[in-house]
Amino acid sequence: MKTMNKTNTGFQIDIRKCFRQFIMLITGLLLIGKLSLQAQDGEAIFKQNCSVCHKIGGGRLIGPDLAGITSKRSIEWLLKWTKASQALVKSGDAEAKAIFDEYKVIMPDQNLPDAELRAVYAFIDSKSADVATSAESSSTTEVVADASNQATQEQISNGKRLFTGAQGLINGGPACISCHNVNYKGVIPGGLLAKDLTDVYSRLGGDIGLHGIMGAPPFPAMTQSYLNKPITENEIADITAFLNRVDKDKTSQQASMMNPLLYGGSAGIIALLILIYILWSSRKRFTVKREIYNRQIRSI
Amino acid sequence: MDVRSQVSMVFHLDKCIGCHTCSIACKNIWTDRKGAEYMWWNNVETKPGTGYPTKWEDQEIYKGGWEKNGDSVSLKGAGKFKGLKNIFHNPHLPVLDDYYEPWTYKYQDLFTAPEGDDQPTARPVSLVTGEHMDVQAGPNWDDDLGGSPDYARQDYNLNQLSQAEQEAMFQLERMTFFYLPRICNHCLNPACVASCPSGAIYKRGEDGVVLINQERCRAWRMCVTACPYKKSYYNWHTGKSEKCVLCYPRLESGQAPACFHSCVGRIRYLGVLLYDADKIQKIASVPEDQLVDAQMDIYLDPFDPEVIRKAQLNGIADSTIEAAQKSPVYKFVKVWKLALPLHPEFRTLPNLFYVPALLPTMATVSNGIYDSTSKSLWNDVSQNRLPMKYLASLFTAGNTSKIVEVMKRLMAVRLHRRGVTVGDLNRNEISSAMSEAQVDAETADAIFRLTSLATFDERFVIPPAHREESIEMLENTGDVKGNTGFGFKERPARGL
Repeated sequence: MKTMNKTNTGFQIDIRKCFRQFIMLITGLLLIGKLSLQAQDGEAIFKQNCSVCHKIGGGRLIGPDLAGITSKRSIEWLLKWTKASQALVKSGDAEAKAIFDEYKVIMPDQNLPDAELRAVYAFIDSKSADVATSAESSSTTEVVADASNQATQEQISNGKRLFTGAQGLINGGPACISCHNVNYKGVIPGGLLAKDLTDVYSRLGGDIGLHGIMGAPPFPAMTQSYLNKPITENEIADITAFLNRVDKDKTSQQASMMNPLLYGGSAGIIALLILIYILWSSRKRFTVKREIYNRQIRSI
Repeated sequence: MDVRSQVSMVFHLDKCIGCHTCSIACKNIWTDRKGAEYMWWNNVETKPGTGYPTKWEDQEIYKGGWEKNGDSVSLKGAGKFKGLKNIFHNPHLPVLDDYYEPWTYKYQDLFTAPEGDDQPTARPVSLVTGEHMDVQAGPNWDDDLGGSPDYARQDYNLNQLSQAEQEAMFQLERMTFFYLPRICNHCLNPACVASCPSGAIYKRGEDGVVLINQERCRAWRMCVTACPYKKSYYNWHTGKSEKCVLCYPRLESGQAPACFHSCVGRIRYLGVLLYDADKIQKIASVPEDQLVDAQMDIYLDPFDPEVIRKAQLNGIADSTIEAAQKSPVYKFVKVWKLALPLHPEFRTLPNLFYVPALLPTMATVSNGIYDSTSKSLWNDVSQNRLPMKYLASLFTAGNTSKIVEVMKRLMAVRLHRRGVTVGDLNRNEISSAMSEAQVDAETADAIFRLTSLATFDERFVIPPAHREESIEMLENTGDVKGNTGFGFKERPARGL
């Protein structure tokens, strides 16, 4: 027994040593991996969360152009702003107030860990340098700002069909009406899960803003809905044309009082109840001993 | 001819004293469990009365049994469309209040209550909720209440009687009641089996006992609705339905079922009947007034060589055929034609037969004056306490002539035995009664003997179950030979 014990402890020491080295190796590998991954992460996070409203070089969208922002503001200020812009505005920060007054759109709070935000700033930083070297001359804005104003009637009606789901999206994404409502004649009331889109065209930055939102949805529910089922460029253009028309006509459109789903559903339920009443009219409703029980005197 | 064997039963109602020993024997063996407290696989009802569950005979309430549908029959309350319609809520099911809420008493309070001015009482406690409760009803709440407005006058079979006949029945001089013990009828055309959506209920091939497979039962409770005798019960604790199993473990070991064995009045008879399974559908579909006769036709003569040959071809053991030849049920039902099925109009072809209670009168009423003498010792059966129409509603689907025949035979036997033992009656009167009922002295003595003096083995002729053969269907006995018996938990020190 004793000899066995000895060999055992010797073996344990070996294991402990090996284990420690192994842990160090793994930690080292992880650190290296982390650093090398950071730049790519920043780009991905930017695309996912920021690119809808911001560009790096090429002018403003809903929010300001972010080229060179890292040299203009301190990282600490940027962190505060990104995480809770309104808190910063209300705290009386003059710069923050100036930006908000200029753009008048509340930037959604980005609930991301500091490390990821720093990765995004690093990405903006490196991208700004590229923009500066390419002399800003290319300005390859694919989206023409007022394209939808020249949209044909066909495009608008096509957009309406896509919006209502009369025609499915090519990549299989859900129709807009599942979650959104617009007040427009001939369109049944839509879902209440997400915001009403009647005035979205003017509210969220016109063609460019809508293109950004539909191209890479920034809202969690919408992101999930269109994951791997992107809306194509043509579809975006058509839907945007339709939403533009809806926005223009909004003053002449009334919120539909005749909600066919509500009234039809109610009528259906009443019809069902009548049917149930007829089908089960001869059912047994009470215990056969009801008369006896009703006469009995209870103590409880 | 597709000959099969059926373990069948006869209850002789003239002998039942309403002691409920059968019910208690059954309860102690089978239904003294959580969720089964309200089940009475065997119960004894007072007739006229509403029975258990209350008004079970009224199929306009419970929708049990079959109804004639052209040349065939269809279930009254179950089936594809009706089942689908009521799949989420079946309104025809009896509710707990139609049975009763089972209870016990807090007996401990009698011993542990603190000292006070009053005697401690044992309060009733529900066996369903565990809460204190008011006892509102019981399984035999109408016991012996032969004239009560709540029970006797609500009897379903009174519907067949005119208002005047009903009033006559409840006159003080004619007031009467008898007991009706009931168990599962193990029907030839069981509605419970037909209604089960899970296929959990089956009729055993070897003896026709109807059983519910507890592993396949999915709590649809269609059988509870479908059984017109309300002998399938839902266990709310296990979520499975249960019913009388005719004590098959006892039958297989040659013992009579517990309710039969314990019967104080010795009213119960059990034996094999051979029947022709090819005829079931045809016979279940005949018009109501022919139902009893048609059902009698399905049972075969166990002495007929052709029947014996066909039975052997179907794998019925010689011992079973022999049991069928000695069967007391065969004598009561087929030979003497004294026993009748309960409510044949449900068309399930029940295999429990009743010899109806005779209940003769010995007095006359003339000009409103009650006279305790009568022309003969007993008045004619038409003067019996229970109207023939009432008994016909119970036992012959309304065929009054059929019940009168049975009554006359019973009366003939009684007159004959009075002649033998007392000898105070007019010989001509006895012989005319016997010839009218087509009963000779020999038959009357045999009926008397099996009714009054029968031994245990004459009352219960149980076919051997041949378990040694049935095991061979499940496993090769050669494979397991030598694998059972004694062994060692620890090897003996000397080794093996």
